[in-house]
Formats: sequence, C-alpha cells, structure tokens
Amino acid sequence: MNRSMIRYLLGRVLRIEAILLLLPLFISFIYHETLGLMFVAVALGSFLLGMILTIHKPESTVFYLKEGCVTCAMSWITLSLVGALPFYLTGEIPSYTDALFETISGFTTTGASILADVEVLSKCMLFWRSFTHWIGGMGVLVFLLAIIPMSGGSNINLMRAESPGPSVGKLVPKIKSTARILYMIYMAMTLIEFVALLIARMDAFEAICTAMGTAGTGGFGVRSDSFASYSAAEQWIVTIFMILFGVNFNAYYLILFGQVGRAFRMEEVRTYFCVILAAIAIIMFDTIHIYGSFFTALTHASFQVASIITTTGFASADFDLWDVTSRIVLVMLMFIGACAGSTGGGIKVSRFVIAAKTVFKEIGGYIHSKSIKKLTMDGKPVEHEVLRSVNVFFITYIFLFGLSTLLISIDDHDPVTIFTAVTATINNIGPGLSAVGPTQNFACFSISSKYVLMFDMLAGRLELFPMLMLFTPNVWKEFLHPTSRPTYLRKK
Amino acid sequence: MALFNKEKTGLNIIIVGCGKVGANLVTQLIREGHDITVIDKDSSRINEITNLYDVMGVTGNGASYTVQMEAGIKDADLLISVTGSDELNMLCCTIAEQSGKCSTIARVRTSDYSREIGYLRDKLGLAMIVNPELEAASEAANILGMPSALEVNPFAKGQAQLVRFKVDEGNVLNGRALIDLGRKNTESILIGSVERDGEVYIPNGMFKIRSEDIVSVIGTRKSVVKFMEYTGMHNQAVRNAIIIGGGQSGIYLATLLLNMNIAVKIIERDRARCEELSVLLPKAVIINADGTDEEVLREEGLVNAEAFIPLTGIDEQNIILTLYAKKICKGKIITKITKIGFPEIIANLDLGSVLYPKKITAEAIIGYVRAMRNSRGYSNIETMYHLPDDAAEAIEFRIDESNKATDVPLKDLELKKNFLVACIVRDGRTIIPGGSDYIKKGDSVVIITTEKGVTDISDIVR
Repeated sequence: MNRSMIRYLLGRVLRIEAILLLLPLFISFIYHETLGLMFVAVALGSFLLGMILTIHKPESTVFYLKEGCVTCAMSWITLSLVGALPFYLTGEIPSYTDALFETISGFTTTGASILADVEVLSKCMLFWRSFTHWIGGMGVLVFLLAIIPMSGGSNINLMRAESPGPSVGKLVPKIKSTARILYMIYMAMTLIEFVALLIARMDAFEAICTAMGTAGTGGFGVRSDSFASYSAAEQWIVTIFMILFGVNFNAYYLILFGQVGRAFRMEEVRTYFCVILAAIAIIMFDTIHIYGSFFTALTHASFQVASIITTTGFASADFDLWDVTSRIVLVMLMFIGACAGSTGGGIKVSRFVIAAKTVFKEIGGYIHSKSIKKLTMDGKPVEHEVLRSVNVFFITYIFLFGLSTLLISIDDHDPVTIFTAVTATINNIGPGLSAVGPTQNFACFSISSKYVLMFDMLAGRLELFPMLMLFTPNVWKEFLHPTSRPTYLRKK
Repeated sequence: MALFNKEKTGLNIIIVGCGKVGANLVTQLIREGHDITVIDKDSSRINEITNLYDVMGVTGNGASYTVQMEAGIKDADLLISVTGSDELNMLCCTIAEQSGKCSTIARVRTSDYSREIGYLRDKLGLAMIVNPELEAASEAANILGMPSALEVNPFAKGQAQLVRFKVDEGNVLNGRALIDLGRKNTESILIGSVERDGEVYIPNGMFKIRSEDIVSVIGTRKSVVKFMEYTGMHNQAVRNAIIIGGGQSGIYLATLLLNMNIAVKIIERDRARCEELSVLLPKAVIINADGTDEEVLREEGLVNAEAFIPLTGIDEQNIILTLYAKKICKGKIITKITKIGFPEIIANLDLGSVLYPKKITAEAIIGYVRAMRNSRGYSNIETMYHLPDDAAEAIEFRIDESNKATDVPLKDLELKKNFLVACIVRDGRTIIPGGSDYIKKGDSVVIITTEKGVTDISDIVR
C-alpha cells in the first residue's frame, strides 16, 4: 500500500480544512463574536499539521482502489476530528463526543443533532455547522481533485471511494475537469437558492445556512423547530431545491450542454420523480384530516417527502404525530434515498431500480427456465460487476444495519426509536421517529451508542466499504507492512 | 463549453481500440495533457484503462455512430483507430469524418491495402495511415545502411540524424573526455546523450566516455558517418542479409533492402508462402526450411552473413535466434519484438538493435498529434522525441520572439544543468552549434534534456 501517498493526501485535506475553518471568522466579525478567534487557532493547527504531512512529496503516485478507500475513510475521520474542535474548545458543546457527533453528522450531511436548542449557539458556530453540510455534500476529496494538480488516472479511485452510486462515471475525460464541473454546478445552484430565499424575505444569515444545508442535503437548521416557523413560500423554495439536489448531477451536466432529452430519459431520475409524486399523494390524502386544508396538507406532505427522500432531514411539521401509513411511507423513503451522483444519501434510487429489475428477471427465469436476458439501464446493458456490487451492497447494508441496531439496543429505548435512529444515521437523514423524531434529538443515547451511530453516518456517506475496510485485518497488515517495491520502480 | 476550458492546452482525442498500441498511445498522450476518450468493445479492457489513466471510457463498437456520439465526436479534434482490423479502422475513420469535424488516423497493416495507402487516404479523407510493419521495416533498413548504429532516427524534419551506438572496448572514444576529442573531429556533430548503467547523462566537455556506454550522436548523415569512421567503427552498408520468416514485415524489409542493392535471403517454413514470396520478390533467394533449426541456419551461411533479421511472429523465438546468431556470426543483427513489456529484462539481454513496431506506430501518431496541437497554437513545441527509455527528451522549439536565451553566444549563456542545445535550424539549414553560435528569432532550436515539462525555450536558461 502506498503509505506516503495516503499521508500526502491527508495533509492536503488538512490544509484545505484550515482554509475552510477561516470562513466562519467572517461571520463572527459581522456579529462581533469573539468566539470566532478559536477558529483561527484550530485552522492554524490544522494547517501546520497539514504542512508537516505534505513536506515530502510521495515518490510514487500509483494509487489503487484500496488506497482510494483507505484515504477516503481516513480523510473523513480526520476532517471530523479537527472539525469538532471549535465546538469543543469554545465550550458551546461541552463534551468532545457530542461535538464529534455533531461534526460527523454535519460532514456526512446527516443533520442528526445532539442539541436540544440550537438557537443558543453563536452565529459562527451555526454557520460552521451548516457549512460542514456544504463541504460534505459534494465531498472534500472531489474538491481536492478539482484544485490540486495531480496527474495519473488512479485518482479516479479517490473519486470512486467518495462519490455515491453503484458505478461512478466521468462527465469529461479529465477527472479534474469533471470535479470542477460538479463543483461549479453545486455552487451555482446553492447561490440560486440563496437568492431565492432572500427574495422570499428570509434573513440573510438564515438564508445562507439554509441554502448550504439544502445543497448538501444535510438538515441542520438554525431554528430549534427546524422549518415549522417559516412561511409557506420559504418552505416551498426549500422543497424544490431539496428535490433538485437529490437529482443525479450528470443530468444537470447534460442539460447544461444542451442534451435536455437525454437528461430526462435517465431512468433513475424519472423513477426518482415518480416515487416523490406517489409518496406526496399518499401522505397528502393521509394527512388532510389533520391540516384541514388541501394546500397546507400538500405543503407539508411535499416538504417532508422531499426532505426525507433526499435525506436532508428538515421538518416543517412534527411527522411523528402523523398516521401510521404516512410514517411508514416516510421510513420507506429513508431507505430509498436520493439518486446516485447527487449530494443525498440512502441506498440510492438506481440500486433499487437495478434490484427491482433483477427480481423481475428472476421471476421471468421461473417461467422460461432457459431464457437469457441481460439487464439494461438507460438502454445500456448493466455489467455483471455492477450487478454484483449492488447485491453485495444490499447484503452488507443489512448486516451493518442489524449489528448497529443490536449494539444500540443496549440503551433500552423503544424499538421504533432504536430502529429509526439507525435508519436516520446510516441513510444520512437526521430525524427518525419516536424519541429521535423531528422535535427530539440524539442526546438521549449513551456514549458508546453515539460512536456506533457516528460510524453508521460515515459508513452511509461513503457507501459502506471504505469504512469497513478500516476494520479489515488484511488492510492493516498491508498498511503496516507494505510489500517492498522492486528497485527499478523506485525513482532515482 | 468555453467556461470550463480556460486552461485547455490539449486536444480532444478519441482512441478506438485499447490493445497494446492503444494503451501505449494513451500513456504518452495523457502525459502531454490531451483529453482522451477510449472506445473498445471489451468492457473489461475499458475498466482496466480507466483505472490506470485519467481518461473516459466508452464500451461499444467504435464504428457505430451512436457510440461515437457518446464519446463526444462533435467536440473531438482527432480520432485514432487502432483496432486489430484494418477494415474496422477505416470504417471508424470514415464515420467520424461524416459525423464530426475531426481529423482521423487509421492503422492499416495488410499489404493488400498498403500499396493503395495514398489512394485510400485521399478518398476516405484520412489525415494519416500508419503501417507498423512498414515503419519497422524502414527503420531496420536505415540501420542496415549504418550497421554500427543501434538506432537511426531522422531529426529536425530529416535535416539531421540521431544515431545511437555502443562504445566497444577498442573504441578511440573509450576513456576520453569530450573536450579532448579535438575540434576537427567533432566539428559538425554533437554528442547528445550518454546512457550508462540505466541512467541517462547529458554530457559536457569534461564528460569521459567509457566502454559499454551507449552514445547518441546528432548531425547530418555525412558528418555522423565521418565521426563514426574516426572512432574506428565499420560503417559501410551491409551487402547481404538473412531474414527469417516471410511474413508481412519480411516482405516490406526485403523490398527495401533489394532497392538498396543488398542481397536478401528469406527462410520461410510454409511452402505455399514461399511460392508467393518468390513471385513477389523475384530478386530474393527464398529458402523453404525451418529458420529456427540450427542446421538450416548454418547451411545457409549464417556464419558469414553480414546481417541477420529474425522476423518470426513469436517474440521469444526472435530473441533466441538473435542470441544464437550473436554467438556464431559477426554481422549486424536486428530483433523485432511485438509485445512491449519487461523492458529491463530485454535491456539486460544485450540484443543490440531492437525494433518495436508498436512503439514505432505510437511514435508516428504522437508526432502527428504534436504537430496538430502546435498548429492550434497551444504551444510552441514543434516536435518532441523521446530518447531511449523516455529518460531524456529532444524538444524542438520555434523561436517566435526574442527572449533572454536569444542573441547571446551559447558559451555566454548560462544553461541549467542537464540541458543542451543540440541544433539550430535557420532558413532551412541545420547548424550544429559551437560556443560562438547563438539563437536568433525565427530559428527552430532542438534542445536535449533529462528534465520533464519544459514548455518554453527560456526555461533552459538559469
């Protein structure tokens, strides 16, 4: 394993984080908060550590999928460990475990909080919380690929480890340009939402935090009641943008370059919209008796559906009080998640599409036992590798889910709480039901359960395998004793 | 698109076929900063290549319009088709011509088409047709015209030659510093690079040459021949040659050698093929026998042959034949190796001149791409040659404007380490520069360097 390359990349990630940590400083200047100075201290420390790690450029930049996964997992852990320091050092969140939970929840765009009342936090902390969503949404390694000059095609392995979806493709031949295009679309859309919210008369600070929270499909709000006290117009803007950020970004690329037809023919995107419409319809008719008016029911139904399927986790109503059908629909949406290649989490629509097709194919196999049928997606055959990885993903997901549920069940909450707590974290949503419902928080869990949930959040965001690799003895063996490279491959 | 292409310095290139040549092209072109999309029918090949290199992969038939559209033919500058089939290559190019505005390069190997290359190129609108076997054969013929050389390459648009040779024990150069060679002998040549123990040196005057060094000399053909004669190397063209294997490259080489008035003997195992050969090459001696049999080789006079070229389809067999011939024959031996791999092992075998048709193909195509990039104004590099093992490069620059490197005599120019001004082409004349020569605006200058990523002539000055 190429340890020096991993070290180098970790250093670069720390240096980027140092720069990102300086942004909340501006907010603290505006609101005259002296707490902001703590960000400077953390940024400085992070930068120095980053510099130390990057002094020596690695001899070889050869990079395989295993290094990609390990780097990815380690970067996200490092990122969170450092990102939690401002919360802890300023005393805004007194326990480091809680601070770490909040930060991981931020970076993984989960939005699960341990804070009962967020309004007591200072502005710069609130900004940093939402900003972690924005960074985590598109991914820090993708950002790294977009800005640092790195040659070698093995970088695709970094992107593959961080980007969600069963198969990661490029938009253009160069990975750097691909990463740049993705970030440009991301920034432009965030900006449009920010402006839209300003037009709807939202306060500028709240608008920027909300825009970042939506863009990353995160879910940290700046008000304690999440979205309940905002106007219908604001709620609708956020609903629309949540749905938009849950779409596969490839579609935007296609639209941007005039291939609108191809974008709308993407099977995953169409299925995604169909699921959203169906869920809204069901919930609306199920809740109309609670809200009385058709429009209010529609607003809340669509806000919640958009928030849950894109794994954002904002709430405009306490859906824990809704009828069972509505709650079950929401829980199902939690598992489906957004499109691959979006900023959302969950299992991803495309995996479900492929899985559903596999099931139909299997049924067909019972009828005509000798029939051969290759699965297609967007008119193209699905490679065996992709099918296998989808199946393995489901199995791994179930194992991890079961294990996590068992581990946190020690805390003796009711089954709904335990089940939805794991669902909400592993799918990067935020709120669950019952004791972790939209008006509640995760503070009720014990420290050990919090660490389990933190792991789930990271595993969910990085699509399970990079995180699981860190717990594989073989990986450690290779990391500690890398096989020596033949002399002629060493640089002179 | 313009929004994202601000720093674009390369071309959009589509490569159809990810075989050895395709992969080799990808390696080289990616290093030069082009945006590459590869097309292959085999998805596992596409996976392999996209895992290794920063390219986009499309699985499908390269001659299909939809597949080409998906690979972005509309924005492509160049399509290179190097699949295994000549016909498919030509079809890919024709379709690309129709659907996009790009130039196209096809690899065409069969001799059926090779005589019609000019016609095909014009009628199908191709920019270039490469024929690896033919290119390899002509390189072999070049070497046989100068048998003490390991490699003979045209340089500076054919104005000069780059000749690589090995310094033997008894050579005059052995143990002498370049400065001691005397003005008269080194007047119009230049020692560009010296390879020793796997390292490449750019020598200065103090550099001492040892035996076993491989030296690259640049100069006009006449001056290089003169220099090599001074060093005591035999440099008359060979008078006869034995070729093992009457395949495609055998025919090409035999034709070229016969034109140079070199007696050719071809040993071919297949009787029917022998009969064909005797019709195609009436002047050659065709022997129907197994060329890998020691007895046959002895009987056909390998001991006295002046040149021996094993061109069987099996690399390992060619290598064994070469090693055997080296033992019993004093003549020039050239080995053809089709598969590119294990370069260190092959270097250790000390085979002498080795030809890689696939590398030659890739180089010919890359030469074209460089010229094309240049004509789009992305850089002022005219051409670039990779010296052995890519450890050193010879780069030809166009000097469009005066800078700190121009109008100063070379002896006063403080060059960085590992840089050498190899030749100056002024008004179509090649000057091998001495200390009092200087670079002028409007010249083309070839520099040799072991540094990578040189993009401008002013980079060479301290």
